[in-house]
Amino acid sequence: MLIKQLSVFIENKKGTLANLTGALVKNNLDIRAIAVFDTNEFGIVRLVVDNPDKALEVLKKEGFIAKLSRVIAIEPEDAPGSLNKIFNILSEHDINIDYIYSFVMRLHELPYIAFKVDKLEKAVEILTANGINVVNSEEIRGK
Amino acid sequence: MIWSKDETLSRDQFTKIQEKRLSETVHSAYHNVPHYKSKLQEAGLEPSDIRTLDDLAKLPFTVKDDLRANYPFGLFAVPQKDVVRYHASSGTTGKPTVVGYTKNDITTWTELIARMVTMAGVTAHDIAQVSFGYGLFTGAFGLHQGLEHVGAAVIPMSSGNTEKQIMIMKDFGTTALIGTPSYGLHMAEVAREMGIDPKKDLKVRLGLFGGEGSTEAMRRELNDAWGLFATENYGMSELIGPGVSGECQCLNGMHIFEDHFIPEIINPDTGKVLGPGESGELIITPITKEALPLLRYRTKDITSLHYEKCECGRTTVRMAKIHGRTDDMLILGGVNVFPSQIEEVLFNIEGIGPHYQIKVYKKGYLDRIEIDVELIDEDFLDSFTLLENLNQTIRGKLRTVLGIDAKVNLHEPRTLARSEGKAKRVIDLREGK
Repeated sequence: MLIKQLSVFIENKKGTLANLTGALVKNNLDIRAIAVFDTNEFGIVRLVVDNPDKALEVLKKEGFIAKLSRVIAIEPEDAPGSLNKIFNILSEHDINIDYIYSFVMRLHELPYIAFKVDKLEKAVEILTANGINVVNSEEIRGK
Repeated sequence: MIWSKDETLSRDQFTKIQEKRLSETVHSAYHNVPHYKSKLQEAGLEPSDIRTLDDLAKLPFTVKDDLRANYPFGLFAVPQKDVVRYHASSGTTGKPTVVGYTKNDITTWTELIARMVTMAGVTAHDIAQVSFGYGLFTGAFGLHQGLEHVGAAVIPMSSGNTEKQIMIMKDFGTTALIGTPSYGLHMAEVAREMGIDPKKDLKVRLGLFGGEGSTEAMRRELNDAWGLFATENYGMSELIGPGVSGECQCLNGMHIFEDHFIPEIINPDTGKVLGPGESGELIITPITKEALPLLRYRTKDITSLHYEKCECGRTTVRMAKIHGRTDDMLILGGVNVFPSQIEEVLFNIEGIGPHYQIKVYKKGYLDRIEIDVELIDEDFLDSFTLLENLNQTIRGKLRTVLGIDAKVNLHEPRTLARSEGKAKRVIDLREGK
């Protein structure tokens, strides 16, 4: 139930993000989630796209240093405290979150959230057992 | 294979030849070049005072500025009608330094390159692509003549137009690549970008690199990238061009063609001559050049001389890989650093590419150094911590090995400048530099 995430190395300078997304657009790839954190001179962009394998190929061909890895995507309930509940569950089971980011929101859609944790399989198992909707890659591709 | 019997003479035979030719050179310089006549007179010397190799140390040095001051032909020892070729150094600042060749000089040069390429493994069966720039620079023409002399098929490709280089290399079945090491690395990168694996899809088996210094780490990169056997060779236009010395396949240093050049090593600060094995500035006296005889030319290159016999059977003295140049040594907050030492550190770190640039500047009164490198390994993208650790590893190694604290900038691949000739690795922005 894990989804593929792209990690891309970028320098913190004008135009690098535009180059990156431009390469994806040219190849009809759709970005479903994007995150880049405040960095000094260089950083890592995390992306979820509709066709990650093709995106990796495209980016490598364009000379980017890019890698596919796996993250969990969940669909939290639209209710107060739902995220807090999820974090508590993970914490109780000794799972550490490296980073999280949310998907690009569209109308009539609940926001998905991507998680990178240290014990991926265990986290999926626990979240599912606790009634949290863990999203699979088909669902992301279909939306 | 050894091209000439003059590469296997006994020490006595070399000494005899050198003393005879040295004396002839000093006579020619004294009688035909006013600059040398006055230099020798100032030193209280007559040409007949120079008879043995021990007398060599009495002679004054020649420096690059002497060539500039006598621009263009002031140091020539023959009339213009006897000159058949001119070359000139790149001369990044001011006037270039001009060198000339008589017919005999060209024959000598061709013979020396034939020895050099044979030593590197080239035979009449090879197809040699010369990727040095053709023009005033001596590299391309020098190699060209000597390669033809041994019977290799020469492709006079020149530098630049890299994609076409690769295409020709593939279509013609090039087996020997001739160029600067930094351009060699760049070409491999371009080939891979074109979907050509130089190791599998090309037939290049030998790489003859020169024109700029390189490190063992760079040799490994070249061997790995191309699946070739890389040798290095040495020369400079003032001395003849390439063809002063080169490595044989035993890789024990570069054999100097001693029947044409007398090498010495000196302490660059005092001018005192140092012994075998000791590291210092290389001084070369060419002893067969007609058009442009030079006495004790200061190369500014730092190396050492080794006289033990080489397994290849040659008896000529070998010079170690150039450690640096007396004029490219960086003094950073009192610490002496050669760019080649920085390169050695960088090449041994996993995850970064072979291209780099060093920037030196002042912040207040302090010297600061920044090193730009390219990230090439995607495994560092798993977490930002890994990337930061890579940066810290590079800094840490530079600190332990060289004692300098450098700021390291990680760049995206293929963003640093590539060179088609000699790589410009250091940008010194300090005042007066």
